[in-house]
Amino acid sequence: MGPSVQYHCPCLSTSPVPPPPHLPSSLHHFHPLHNLFFCEECDAVRCNRCVAVEVSTYYCPNCLFEVPSASVRAEKNRCARNCFSCPNCRNTLSVVSSDPPETGDGRSTAPLNSSGEPPFFLYCNHCRWDSAEIGITFEKPTGLAAQLQKYEDSAPDSLEFDRLKDHFEPFLRASSLSSSMAVHAALPGSAAHSHHLHSTSITAAASAALARDIPGVAKYNPLSRSASGRAHRDRTANKDEMPEYKGRVEIASVGLLGGGGGDVEVDFMRRLRDVQSVASVEQRWGNSWAGTLQVKDLKPLRIPLHSKRSKRCPACTHILIKPEQKAQSVRYKIKLVAANYLPAITVALPHLQKPIATSDAAKRTLMKISPQSIDDGTTPPGLIAGKTYPFHLALTNPLYDPIQVRLSVQRVHVTAATPGVGEKARRPPFAISLPTSPFPIAAFAEAWEYEDDEDMMVDDDDFGAGGVKGRDKDGRGKAKTVGVLERRANVTLIGGEVIIGKEARGNVKFNMLVTYTYRSDDSTPSEGDGDVPKSSKPPEVKSFAFYTVVDLGPIIPREEPRMETDA
Amino acid sequence: MSSTMDPPIYYSRSEYIETDTGNKVSRRATIAGPQNIVLGGKTIISSGAIIRGDLRRTGPGHTVVIQLGRYCLIGEGCIMRPPYKTFRGAFNYYPMKIGDHVHIGAGSVIEAATIGNHVEIGKNCIIGKFTIIKDCAKIADNTVIPPNTVIPTFSRFAGSPGHFIEDLPESTQEMVEAQTKQYYTRFQPLDRQ
Ligand SMILES: [Zn+2]
Ligand SMILES: [Zn+2]
Ligand SMILES: [Zn+2]
Ligand SMILES: [Zn+2]
Repeated sequence: MGPSVQYHCPCLSTSPVPPPPHLPSSLHHFHPLHNLFFCEECDAVRCNRCVAVEVSTYYCPNCLFEVPSASVRAEKNRCARNCFSCPNCRNTLSVVSSDPPETGDGRSTAPLNSSGEPPFFLYCNHCRWDSAEIGITFEKPTGLAAQLQKYEDSAPDSLEFDRLKDHFEPFLRASSLSSSMAVHAALPGSAAHSHHLHSTSITAAASAALARDIPGVAKYNPLSRSASGRAHRDRTANKDEMPEYKGRVEIASVGLLGGGGGDVEVDFMRRLRDVQSVASVEQRWGNSWAGTLQVKDLKPLRIPLHSKRSKRCPACTHILIKPEQKAQSVRYKIKLVAANYLPAITVALPHLQKPIATSDAAKRTLMKISPQSIDDGTTPPGLIAGKTYPFHLALTNPLYDPIQVRLSVQRVHVTAATPGVGEKARRPPFAISLPTSPFPIAAFAEAWEYEDDEDMMVDDDDFGAGGVKGRDKDGRGKAKTVGVLERRANVTLIGGEVIIGKEARGNVKFNMLVTYTYRSDDSTPSEGDGDVPKSSKPPEVKSFAFYTVVDLGPIIPREEPRMETDA
Repeated sequence: MSSTMDPPIYYSRSEYIETDTGNKVSRRATIAGPQNIVLGGKTIISSGAIIRGDLRRTGPGHTVVIQLGRYCLIGEGCIMRPPYKTFRGAFNYYPMKIGDHVHIGAGSVIEAATIGNHVEIGKNCIIGKFTIIKDCAKIADNTVIPPNTVIPTFSRFAGSPGHFIEDLPESTQEMVEAQTKQYYTRFQPLDRQ
């Protein structure tokens, strides 16, 4: 992993300012730009953790058939057609006939979906498991799930589950009615609505995390609002009203029914000759019943459905993501992603950036033209304590209007020092210099994209400048390190500098506030836009600020032998 | 993640043939049956790659065996071989179709039937016969996808056999498109050879 920039979503805390980057909690506040959304209504960044999610389409990931939501529940969230996963390796199983084996090219590949001889069976073309081994065969090669229905319905886990459902159904119906009335009474109007949505998404995340430890629950339970709402209410409702649940079978007798259990397992283990015949946790993980330990008893499972999801802003409930209905379409009816609103920022350490040569010949030529640009193995792959390095930030404007950007570094906290170090560590481990005055980034224009047309020729010299020649300047020209280095199309390249303390440890990682202003009408921004207080501005000038965390990578301590290269 | 500051990738001009539509094909790649191979434009075939356009369906006439879209990359040492099977007693090869903005990492072996647009396949992968990879999917390095697997849109697969790992972000299409275009721009000839 090279240097990185991640963006802040303030949803996890009450403060708009992110935690200092050295705290472990920092990790949970920042996201790659491309994983974030933007609500125009609230003028705010949203992330996958805070948006409210609704399933818009269910489909089978193997046969790609869309499943109407009405039948999803009855079919227990799994494909009801011909799709099964291998109980041994989880690969998708193929339906094969009992035709005599192929003689063609000498390779033994099972014929697929053939209209051959019955009986048919399920076959794994990865691990070669087949369902005939465990006595499952089919008369027809279609509608396999229906043919297995009777086995599935009579399995102890589905009987128990049905019984549980019957037991809880009346209670859930009653409590959902009363609690939704309670919420509306307590918090009237839109506030109630937003509060309710917010809390359900939080509890949904929490219950998803808890459910992960229950086999068969987390994966196949889509995070729909109705489901998460129910989980939330369970906790508040009065549990005393519920009659006690009695299991279908006495736990002591489970072993006798072939469902595993002490004596049976002890006996099995005693005769064990081959460890491969014990089913691994991985192989048993997806089963909802504490079943057998033996590989030979594992059954193929219908493949769990996938879903396409819409996403809403947790505060104003406006839709941020709405996919097209069709399962395999990659288009969206609504797609409000942060990358279309906030400038994209990438970071690089010029001293580590070497051009890549695809062949020895290219490498030799490169050596002749610019020997210092070749990676000769002497450059340590990081930042050495006690040294000063330049770094580059490239900001790309996604808007059709030019913007003025101002960067400011959040103070580096002294507490960042490793515990147990003395007086010297009281100083900040590193200092960051960035240009303090605002700088412009030109508007995005379709032409910048180097569009597909064949007549848009790419000028090699243009791009060469960013490579070898640019490096020459850095090397000996003593060109300006901190400030605007280059403006090209809708990209502005900013130079910064980091001074690393002699005793510094850990990563060079700092929070950076990015503020940008843009005007929708006037396309000629003047100098110093960002310095003028917002109130005196005409109304068409808008400003937006967001936090990022910049990670330049680990600091290499001075004591290491690599330090010999430090002059 | 792609960066506007990524360093150039240099090749020696003498090694690559550039076509009118901007395809760049290494002279060290093995292109068998070139008349049966279609390259969409601005597609790079790296050195050591083997593309088997000669494994064509039996019968008379001209057929397209392997079709590649625009801004694709076939990494070093990749093998692209059309899938085959015996159907109703007859052995045959079937065409392979690959969309736009598809990158395939070095050392991978591909026998897929179709690969959609904006797909990333890592290094040293094996993509089994008749695999169907839908748009905006991503296969991690060293993944083995068994024959006849279907990989849905916006999903990341990894492992042996390859499994669904997670959904990819909604902006995958834009990200992959920017990355593949940038790669093509960074891929520059170095003269004085
Ligand atoms: Zn958030
Ligand atoms: Zn299916
Ligand atoms: Zn298997
Ligand atoms: Zn909103």
